[in-house]
Amino acid sequence: MAVFFLAAFAAAAAYAADLAVIVNPNNPTKAMSLGDLDKLLRGKTATWTNGHPVILVLHDPNSPPMKFVIEKVMGLSVEEGKAVLNEVSHGKSGASIVFVSSDEEIVKAVEGNSAAIGIVDVYSITGGVKVVKIDDKQPFDRGYVLRGRTQ
Amino acid sequence: MRIISLQRVLRSGILVAGFVLVASMAPGLQQTNKTASTAPTRTDRAEAKPDKVPMTTSSKAARHDYELGMLNLEDLFFEEEGLNDLRRAVKADPGFALGHAALVYFTGDPREEKREIELAQQNLPYAAPDEKLLIRFLVGTKDGDLIEAISAINDLLAAYPKDSRLGNLYGGWLLDVQNFARAQDVLQRVLKNDPNYYPALNNLAYAYAMNGDFSRTSRLMEQYVAMLPGQPNPQDSYGELLRMAGDFKDSIKHYRAALSIAPNFIDSQIGIASNYALVGDEERARVEYLRAIAMTSERTTKLQYRMLWAMTYYRENHSEQGRKEYIALAALAHKEDLAVSEAECYRTMALFNPQPEGALKDLDAAQHALMEKHDLPRGEREAEFATVLKTRAFIAARAGWPEVASRALDTLAAFAEKSRNNVVQSSYYSTHGAVLLLQGKYTGAATELQEDPRNPLSLQLLANAQEKAGQVPESAKTLAALAAIYDERVETAAIAQPMRDALRRTNSPPTQANSPE
Repeated sequence: MAVFFLAAFAAAAAYAADLAVIVNPNNPTKAMSLGDLDKLLRGKTATWTNGHPVILVLHDPNSPPMKFVIEKVMGLSVEEGKAVLNEVSHGKSGASIVFVSSDEEIVKAVEGNSAAIGIVDVYSITGGVKVVKIDDKQPFDRGYVLRGRTQ
Repeated sequence: MRIISLQRVLRSGILVAGFVLVASMAPGLQQTNKTASTAPTRTDRAEAKPDKVPMTTSSKAARHDYELGMLNLEDLFFEEEGLNDLRRAVKADPGFALGHAALVYFTGDPREEKREIELAQQNLPYAAPDEKLLIRFLVGTKDGDLIEAISAINDLLAAYPKDSRLGNLYGGWLLDVQNFARAQDVLQRVLKNDPNYYPALNNLAYAYAMNGDFSRTSRLMEQYVAMLPGQPNPQDSYGELLRMAGDFKDSIKHYRAALSIAPNFIDSQIGIASNYALVGDEERARVEYLRAIAMTSERTTKLQYRMLWAMTYYRENHSEQGRKEYIALAALAHKEDLAVSEAECYRTMALFNPQPEGALKDLDAAQHALMEKHDLPRGEREAEFATVLKTRAFIAARAGWPEVASRALDTLAAFAEKSRNNVVQSSYYSTHGAVLLLQGKYTGAATELQEDPRNPLSLQLLANAQEKAGQVPESAKTLAALAAIYDERVETAAIAQPMRDALRRTNSPPTQANSPE
């Protein structure tokens, strides 16, 4: 086997994000701006329009998808983002964050709770969740913001 | 092998050359596939499972032929056999929506795909609720409604956790769209539930290989070969994975082993031919390609193989002969109303045309072929059109013509805005990268070109952009990745092969590849 080949590919490997923001189908939210999503992640928006507290269901901040989200949506370094998310998760804002270890757990949590919002690999979505447009675009649209590569 | 039509391989930029399969089989084996009692494991397994997705047809023959088709297509990789099984199924029951949807998913013939999409949709109301989900997946992956397709297949996977074929189907599609990590997850889950489900072993090995992790493929291939000693596909897959790693000598051994099991297993014949082509023995490659051409009766497949045969002339720098053959093939494609293949012929001529002005004229001809009235699914037309525009931008970048690249981008942007086709999207990013490169915006160019990471055209521009952006080590890595691509795409022949040759000349061998004796 070609050792050089393996090295070349390993070096070129990067995390490819293709993420979807999902809510429960009973949540009337169909679209939001990237700024709105940022506010949700920072706990600045802590309730939905119906008054229910927002429940964020996310991957661990150290995971590749969350690193991507922290950089792309929050515009922070990973360490800064982790600090902000940890603060929100301690309930100071009224919103809550649940960190889980798989897309499946996020999807299940959102399927079962109309106040939940999650961010998952788009290839994990089910009919039990609704994909929210971000800046008027949804996954697979050109220019959709939650798509890209990170090292 | 995995079933990926050559057209899809060429356009999706997947490294592997998983090819369209088999004209006919060894007589004994052919009989095996035609009788339920000897089409062993999969059919028996499927019929024994009460928890697989239902299918709605009152025709016993349609049901039987559908099952046989899925066995041949998904499990054993006898594509022509499998397609004919599905065609018989919908002939036996023209209202069999799932049968039409399966044909949409597997056929390589654009005309058939378009017709079957319409028939699947017409007959959708007659399908059972879960069957409708499967139809939405099979058709949605082709007509671009990917969000609906993905949610449908995930709902089915949750409802039918023991249906290994379902998981394998999704895993295989994830490979097609180059989501290798997710494909690994899905396929590993299938194997956890059903450790002996050999089609998932095969796909998982490809998932690792396409992700650059060859360390795990040998064990999976050994397991796969041991499970099905009388089937050609395990040997064929082994051969293909070795070729992807640059081990041509051992690759040919496995391809020959596949042919010794089933002499008409066409994919292995193509694999042998392509091994010779990749190591520069073009005369031998032509002989082997001609054998493969004689083995298929599918018109699109035959034309694709003829294109590979003609490419050998370009590979050995007999450009005039290559061009002559491709002009003849373009005319044949035109006559057969195969617009995508016709455009591919002109696109090939463009990439091997040493004069950029002439190359752009070739690409004009490719665009013209696609713009004519054809019975062609929109997705097929858009994907090839986007690839032609990407090629135009690449040639413009090489020639230093920013206006040409910008015009290609404008045209592509107009329909990429509405398209969710991954080929269209990756072409857009690549074309945008070419434009930024020409504008001297090297960092931005590199970011865009990284969105098309398995296409030799994009990789070459990426290496250039990285170098100019001062990212010298990254540029060297990109060039190394480019030089290590071993497949049959025209982009590989036109860009990666010369790169390998150049590296060899500078005493920097790209791989430890070994050649057939």
